Amino acid sequence: MDVITNLLGGFSTCLTLPNIGMAALGAFLGTMVGILPGLGPSATMAIILPITFGMDPTPAVIMLCSLYYGAMYGGSTTSILVNVPGESSSVVTAIEGYQLARQGKAGTALGLSAIGSFFAGILGTISLAFLASNLAEYSLKFGPAEMFSLVLMGMFTIIYVGGKDITKSLMSMVIGLGLGTVGTDIVQGQPRFTYGVSELLDGIDFVILVMGTFGIAEVLESAEEYMKIVPMKVRLRELFPSLADIWYCRWAILRGYFVGFFICCVPGSGPTIASFLSYGVEKSVSKHPEKFGTGVIEGIAGPESSNNAAVSGAMVPMFALGIPGSGATAVLLGGLIMYGLKPGPMLFVDNADFVWAVMASMFIGNIILIIMNLPLVPAFASLLRIPYGLIYPAILIICIVGAFAVASGLFEVGLMLVFAVCGYFMKKGGVPAAPMLMALIMGPMMERSLYQALNLSHGSMLVFIQRPISATLLSVIVLMSLYVGIRAIMGKKAAVEEAEE
Amino acid sequence: MKKADRIFGVIGLGLALWSYLESTRLQYMTEFTPGPGFFPFWVGVVLALLSIYLIIDTTIRKPSEKDNKKILPARHMLYRVGFIMLMLVIVRYTMPFLGFPLTLTLFAAVILLLLEHYSILRSVVYGIAYAGVTWFIFEYMLSMGFPKGFLGI
Repeated sequence: MDVITNLLGGFSTCLTLPNIGMAALGAFLGTMVGILPGLGPSATMAIILPITFGMDPTPAVIMLCSLYYGAMYGGSTTSILVNVPGESSSVVTAIEGYQLARQGKAGTALGLSAIGSFFAGILGTISLAFLASNLAEYSLKFGPAEMFSLVLMGMFTIIYVGGKDITKSLMSMVIGLGLGTVGTDIVQGQPRFTYGVSELLDGIDFVILVMGTFGIAEVLESAEEYMKIVPMKVRLRELFPSLADIWYCRWAILRGYFVGFFICCVPGSGPTIASFLSYGVEKSVSKHPEKFGTGVIEGIAGPESSNNAAVSGAMVPMFALGIPGSGATAVLLGGLIMYGLKPGPMLFVDNADFVWAVMASMFIGNIILIIMNLPLVPAFASLLRIPYGLIYPAILIICIVGAFAVASGLFEVGLMLVFAVCGYFMKKGGVPAAPMLMALIMGPMMERSLYQALNLSHGSMLVFIQRPISATLLSVIVLMSLYVGIRAIMGKKAAVEEAEE
Repeated sequence: MKKADRIFGVIGLGLALWSYLESTRLQYMTEFTPGPGFFPFWVGVVLALLSIYLIIDTTIRKPSEKDNKKILPARHMLYRVGFIMLMLVIVRYTMPFLGFPLTLTLFAAVILLLLEHYSILRSVVYGIAYAGVTWFIFEYMLSMGFPKGFLGI
């Protein structure tokens, strides 16, 4: 009951004109980002973040959150109309969506994906409110030892669950930890890796890293070639699927919500994995799996519902434990720190008004998005006619402004460019940048909790295994590592045998 | 991909060495707690181990389908990327002399003209529009304090 009372309180905070306006702005930007290929939600959030410096955290985070789930709505439009996914979680939507569009059912596909996203988004937000608040209450018992083990587990989960190549993901994470040590250390106040550069004394701002490795690197990759997209035309009256279609997809939407929300509560999974899993689930429960790939409506409804519910799922560890569940929530987490908030269980105690207002705003954001994504889809789709060559110089200018805004200096712009080059080649070499970003944010947290835990235990490392919660978390890391290690060895063995045959 | 992985391994090894060397000039432990050198030391050690593993793995593993894929794009694409990066670096170093609006107008106009093949007029108009709108919002309205050039803006 407490949750409902708090949520109603959240509505009273967020139902003001500026907050609704920010939710609408975020939804609009998110839909645009989702529709336009070449820039993902994490990069856009990172680019916009410095511009929100000095703003009140509630409207700023309301905007960033609605941008995140707005991108999930918008991503399906390009997948369906041009077979080019606007962002990675809509890749799977293109399989069935584009086939439906070719059969003249683009409106049905777009409508179903918007309706699925809406229901899953609302269900996901309700689940987020209940789960995050209870988890936060439980994690209030955590001391420094538990926090250290939790952060460590969060990092390993991100690698093991989300990483395609474990070694490269681990290396990316360790490099991120190294970047996190740049600046004045927390123990003796000594400068590390600063070499007399005063701008580095405060450390490397995560905004710089994320704008370089996500923002500019993504733009560079998209700008490699002249991109011209010609979307299919959709009429407004075609956009509303029949009630029979919606009724037919009801279980697919529900399954999508379950898969998306609960999978993404585990750090590292993210909406892309959720949408692929949901597609797999739909195919396996279908009575006609052979028709998948030819334009099956539940093949859109499931994954699209799933990627929206995944956004709420990924916010559970971020709000309750201060651990980001995906690249975009890492940006959001960094944003919370930037606004002077303390992500984690204390957020529900110290800034309860803020948390509940943001959660309540997600209901409003979803309502705004269903309005934007049904009648306004033809207008948004026409954005695809703007050549990408005209868009990316503007994005680069905003990145420069964003980097400059971090400390009102050009040093940060230069640093961002260094990260942009690194990010571009990392993308090309298949090295994920998300673990590096998460480690940069969580590294100092980890160092601080290690310092505090050992200080309290007078230097005894046993504190980590004597405390039951910490010991459990560390056991999970060991078990996960064993599982991943054994799987890797078996995989290598199988590959060798196959090669020998 | 194999070659790229090996290069990444070597870069990782270099970074590991850098982190280790930095840790040697810092205190490793205080009486009870880790000192400032503790994290850089372990970052160096773990990164070195992972890098060595990656290098060995790329040396002994049989090339897969993924390994045969080219990781860098065609030369003309790489030129485009290189040109954009060069322009960004020029922006970084010329902004203190030319000022924010002029630098960014030139930046956008040159990219549109040379890479996207717009006419001179359209490139300049778009450049002025991009830089003008950004300058108006962030300098005029939000007073962000961008560098001023010889024009005084």
